[in-house]
Amino acid sequence: MRYLVELARSLVRHKPLVSNFVDKDLRGRYIGSTVGLFWSLVNPVLSLATYTFVFNWVLKSRWSDYQPDSQVVLMMYLGIIVWGCHAEIISRCTNTLVENGNLIKKVVFPSEILPSYIGISALVNMGIGLAFVVIGVLLFGYAFPIADPTPVGHVFQPGEPVFRPFQFGLSIVTLPLLIALHLVFSVGLGFLLSTMNLLLRDVGHFVSALITVWMFGTPIFYPESLVRDRGYGWIVDCNPMAWVVDSYREVVLFGGWPDALMLVKLALVAFLSLWAGTRFFFKNKRRFADML
Amino acid sequence: MQEQKNGGREGRESTSAIYAEDLSKCYQIYKKPIHRMWDVLFRTRRYEEFWAVRNVYLDIPHGSTVGIIGENGAGKSSLLKLLTGITVPTTGKVEVQGRVASLLELGAGFHPEFTGRENIRLNCAVLGMTPEETAERFQGIVDFSELGEFIDRPVKNYSSGMYVRLGFSVAASVDPDILIIDEALSVGDEHFRGKCTNKLNEFRERGKTIVFVSHDMGAVKSMCKWVVLMDQGRVLEQGTAEKVADTYLKRAKARGNERLSAVSRKGSEYPRWGSGEVEVLAVEMLDEHRQVTHVVQTERPYSIRMRWIAHRDTPNPVFGVGLYRTDGTYLNGSNHHWRKQPLELGAVKAGDEGEVEIHVDRMPLQHGQYYLTLFLYDHSKAAPTAIDHREHVLTFEVVDVERAQHGLVYIPSRWTIDRRGPSGTQSMESQA
Repeated sequence: MRYLVELARSLVRHKPLVSNFVDKDLRGRYIGSTVGLFWSLVNPVLSLATYTFVFNWVLKSRWSDYQPDSQVVLMMYLGIIVWGCHAEIISRCTNTLVENGNLIKKVVFPSEILPSYIGISALVNMGIGLAFVVIGVLLFGYAFPIADPTPVGHVFQPGEPVFRPFQFGLSIVTLPLLIALHLVFSVGLGFLLSTMNLLLRDVGHFVSALITVWMFGTPIFYPESLVRDRGYGWIVDCNPMAWVVDSYREVVLFGGWPDALMLVKLALVAFLSLWAGTRFFFKNKRRFADML
Repeated sequence: MQEQKNGGREGRESTSAIYAEDLSKCYQIYKKPIHRMWDVLFRTRRYEEFWAVRNVYLDIPHGSTVGIIGENGAGKSSLLKLLTGITVPTTGKVEVQGRVASLLELGAGFHPEFTGRENIRLNCAVLGMTPEETAERFQGIVDFSELGEFIDRPVKNYSSGMYVRLGFSVAASVDPDILIIDEALSVGDEHFRGKCTNKLNEFRERGKTIVFVSHDMGAVKSMCKWVVLMDQGRVLEQGTAEKVADTYLKRAKARGNERLSAVSRKGSEYPRWGSGEVEVLAVEMLDEHRQVTHVVQTERPYSIRMRWIAHRDTPNPVFGVGLYRTDGTYLNGSNHHWRKQPLELGAVKAGDEGEVEIHVDRMPLQHGQYYLTLFLYDHSKAAPTAIDHREHVLTFEVVDVERAQHGLVYIPSRWTIDRRGPSGTQSMESQA
């Protein structure tokens, strides 16, 4: 707990420094390149196109009979940007201490701001992605609503998925909480991995492998029901990122309330992640300069 | 650069700017990276210890200018990192009173991808300045650095001189109580160095503390009254510059001799050619006491002795010596034949042997490393041909503790000053 307080204090004290790093990071990403902001749309859309092609057309995996492809595309897109934010945070955090070794070794540098600024920067990125999602919901939920593909007179079996239109609801108020938990979880892992990578540089390679495995273990390109039906439900149940993606979809796309129990579990895991991450980080911090 | 506030250090009521007690730093050297992980996980000890700093006591009063000298690897930089708080001491403690700004190494604390401007902001933020304070000093820093349009380029494209200029500009502008400089200043050009010196003098006059680190005794002596001499992590001696200079000189001679004679013993990988009628067996440098040495002091006598043996008859061998600076600059060349009154060895028969020596009353070179090339040529023909030409036959060092002059050569000189006017008429003359 002490280390969480230490982190908070440091962030308050070094606010100008953090904003400096975030500023530089975002500038480098959006202003340095010619089309700037456009890239934060293009990249997810490119991977969206790829995965849609592979999963939906080549492998013919269907989300559900009553979820039209146009809806699936936006659901996948939201999954990609949420996952992208998580992956960006953990992969960049892993290398950040080594990359900024020049600062840590040569000046008294508050290294705890490094994972923090990466989290903030990734959040801004995801925010831009979310803005496109919101536009999508406005378009396909309100301006040109997607028609219900259910045949007229279809009799629903108990438990059969029902078509749900895109819409905003009051539940959007939980979005900030959701984003906060998501970031706390990712940044906590970031603290842990950044320190581990100093102790053992191989951690960097491990993390890139982990990200790929983890991504396919998260229902981004396939519906959660698919894994459950095949008896692999535990993968989703043990995967906090699956809870995160699911909750985002519920809140942002369908205007529904996220599962309360899931939110509580997520809150616990996120807190545990940040607690353990900062503890490990701060306990080793005084030796960072020696380990680089 | 960096700054650290006196973060509520408690205990001893001290008037010292820097106080260190029994300060040691042990680095853990791991043979394999995995061992470090094991140590963390299982609390084992699989490392080898390397003590970079050992049992150092320092007491630096406010307002003093202190020099820390020592050879490479003496622990100066490790000590500085402890003083600035970048690393944590293994034993002992450091107490620092006031804001510290340090200029540890070239480009230390810069982010290579950031532009000069962004690095100034970054550094100011690291130093704990608010955006308002930064904005206030920003233009001053930019102007002082004189980087021109380079200020908007990433510092990875900077030359080492530019790094120093930017680094010094920021460090100087934080207005620290204690400024720690690690020989970085020597990189800048003459003009900027002058500006830095002015700034440092200004600091000193305002009662700030300066810690200056170098391996060059002369440079330290010109700036600091109090000098700390380090060797192998320990403080060998500390005291007035004059006092420490003697010890330093002795050590420099011993070290220089050790190192350079090791170099000579290794055998020369430099070219050697000639017809070989006469062979030079050894080239040695002798000091004023006729002791073989590799280290000579400026303004002191020295000789170079060449021992030779003739294998075949040759009509007129002439010995000569060329003097070079390590960068290859040819400084001087002479032989015993090309003189107003030539000295001739004449014809030599197989089996003859002897020594040839050149005596110099005053070493005219200043601090630095130099080497000799031997010329043994047959002067019986119109164009002399090589009998034994040995490039880079001997490396030696010149040390200059007085540092009475700058540059490459020492020019014995005398100054006179004349004054006429309301304050009277006066003529002064310095000693030769």
